[in-house]
Parts: sequence; structure tokens; C-alpha cells
Amino acid sequence: MLLELLQDGFYAALAAIGFASISNPPRRAYLYCALIAAVGHSTRYLLLNNGVVHVHIIVASTVAAFMIGLLAVWFAPRAKCPAETCFFPALLPMIPGMYAYRTIGALLLCLYHQEEEIFNHYFYLLAYNGFTCVFIILGMVMGATIPVFIFKNISFRATR
Amino acid sequence: MTTCNKPLCKQPTAKEVAIFLVDYSTWLLGCGATCIRIEKNVQRMAEAFDMEYDMVIMPSNVQISVRNHDYTDSFSLVGRKHKTGISFNINTRLSKLSWDIADHKIGFEEALTRFEEITHTPPTNKWLVLLLASLANMSFCRLFTGDGVAMLVVFIATMVGYRLKQVLLEYKVDVRFVFFCSAFSSSIIAAGAYLFNWGSTPDIAIGTSVLYLIPGIPYINSVSDMLDGHYICAFSRFIDALILTAALSTGLCGGMMLMDLKLL
Repeated sequence: MLLELLQDGFYAALAAIGFASISNPPRRAYLYCALIAAVGHSTRYLLLNNGVVHVHIIVASTVAAFMIGLLAVWFAPRAKCPAETCFFPALLPMIPGMYAYRTIGALLLCLYHQEEEIFNHYFYLLAYNGFTCVFIILGMVMGATIPVFIFKNISFRATR
Repeated sequence: MTTCNKPLCKQPTAKEVAIFLVDYSTWLLGCGATCIRIEKNVQRMAEAFDMEYDMVIMPSNVQISVRNHDYTDSFSLVGRKHKTGISFNINTRLSKLSWDIADHKIGFEEALTRFEEITHTPPTNKWLVLLLASLANMSFCRLFTGDGVAMLVVFIATMVGYRLKQVLLEYKVDVRFVFFCSAFSSSIIAAGAYLFNWGSTPDIAIGTSVLYLIPGIPYINSVSDMLDGHYICAFSRFIDALILTAALSTGLCGGMMLMDLKLL
């Protein structure tokens, strides 16, 4: 379990560094992005695979994103970067890409099939994956943004 | 009254301050800052210049009206958003500049010089970005339980698609078409894993091969603007991101249809 957790954190950190590079952050921010992403994604992994309490992926993503937001506010003054520089890339590895992919696949298959039963099956897949995808993103973004608004004095003074 | 502590530092006029603030905020808007950050930065600088101001932030423009306390000197100006692409480095440096001005560490003239210098900040090396983005998408594949073969396929698919995106953007091709083309090429390469039965998770490879194109930052910015009550900007950013997502989805679907893949 510990090995899986570390592996999850490592790949999340690597993903965060790569996606951070697309948005041209200051060099000193990369380390913080990686660290925050690793902790955030591992938190979600732990919530989803702990074997004790079953946590829904939407709740797990929101809680993990809230953790990312708190860490970003904490690290922002140390990195001398705005909090969003630290948490945006850290959030990206949690984007529910497979749900989005299955939503599009189901949508196309809905269009292909006219038989009611088959259409209903793919329509169910479309709705299930689509709703899950949208609510994960909403939960993630709100979870990460709320700490920035709660601790405005820290978040917006980080570059001082 | 708050004035510059530096010697030989003259008080700028409302016109000079307005021109500077409009330029500053349009750059900040262009590099992907949230509305609350633009407002806070401009407010602290206007206070440091001992001016009153009002500002309207629209999705593509910023309007600023600057005046002194007794309304004997005022100036209004509208500026168009700079199309710089998202840059947290510029965002960070502009935010630092606003604090240096607010703390009276620099005067107006030096602020102008530094601002000019910040606007020429070079982007991250494109080859490094290409490599890191490909590694990132490969890691993404692993996070979605893809196996080693799927990771390799995603790495190559991302590298090709992202390089195509860089080239097309250099040629000033419409960004929506660029997203379509990149997603199309990446999905066709990733489809190879499915067609030739490489590895045990070819569906994960196809699904994650286009995720590097998801416009995550505009989505996050739109929610941030919404929470702060900037609904027009929030809506605009959301629709922008949605259109890009639709473009990449169309590219993905086009690639899969061309390769005659079963979708689910």
C-alpha cells in the first residue's frame, strides 16, 4: 500500500511538473508544484483505496483539492509566487480524463445506434460518465479555490 | 498622503498612471491572471500613486478611469487584452512589481522600466516544454492504471501532437483548429496500441493521449472568477475552455472513427 501510495505521488509530481511547464511558471515554482501535486494526489488515492471507508471519487477529489489549496496558500509566500501558480498544475493530474473520454465515446455510440435498448444503455453511460466528470471538476476547482479566498491576506501577499 | 520615497521622484499625472495601469492590467489579463488578482494589484498601485480609480474588467478589454482626490486631473482609457498565452512567470513578476510600487521601493519611472522589461520575459524553452509535457501525459496514463506499453505509446503520441501544436501556433493558425489537429494526430498514433494489441490497456492509451490539450487553467480561472462575482469573465473563460474541449474531442473522435475503433 505504501509503495503504491509513493508511486502515485511520484507520477502525480511528474505530471504536475510537465503541465506546469506549459504555463511558463518561474523555475522556483516547479518543486512546490511537484510536492503539492504528490501530496494531493496521494490523499485522493488513500481516500479511494483505503479498504476501511468507501469514499466517492467526487468527495475524494474535493477533499484532495482542498488540501492542495491549503498547501498552495502555505507554500506561496515561501516560493514568492501567487498561490494559483502552485496549485493550478497540482490540480491537473486529478482531471477526470477517462470519464471525459468515456462520455464522448458514449455520445458517439448513442448517435450510431437507433435500437431503444442499446441506445438507452449508451445514454446511461453518457449520463453517468458525464455527470461524474463535471462534478469532479467542479468539486476540485472549488475545493482548491476556497482556501485562496479564505486566506486572502496570505494568498495575495505572497509576492511581496 | 503616500508618495514615492526615492529622491528626484516626481508625482505622475492621472494620464500617465492610467496608461500604465491599463497596460499593466491588460498584460495580467492576457497571461492568465484571475480578476481578483488584477483588481488587487491595480488597487495597491493606484493607492501608492495617490490616485483614485475605477476599473471594469471585461473578457477581452480593461477600462480604467484615474483621477486625483479633488477631480482636477483625471483620465479614462480602454485597453485590449494582450494575447501573450498563459505565463505564470509574467504573472508572478507583475505581482511583485505591484508590491514594490506599493511599498515605495521604486518610483514611477523605474516602474515603467521594469514593466517594459517584464513584458519581454522569454517563455520556457519549447523543446524542454515538449519533453516535460510528453512525460507528464505519460505519467497521466500511469495514474489512470495504464501499463508500460500504454505509457510509451502515450509519450510518443503526446510528443507528436504537442510538436504539431507548437508548429501550427507559430504559423498563427486558429487555436481551435490547432487543438483539433493535435488531438486527431495523437489519437491516431495511440490507436496503434489498440489495432496491434500492444499491451493490456490500449483503451487507457487512447483516452489519455489527448489529455495534455485539456484547457485546465481557463476552467479553474472561470470558477475563481465566478466565486469572486465576475460572472461575465467567468462565463467567457468557461465558454473559451468549452470550445477548446469540443475541438479536441472532435479531433479525438475523428481519429478513432478513421481507425475504425470500438469506442467503449
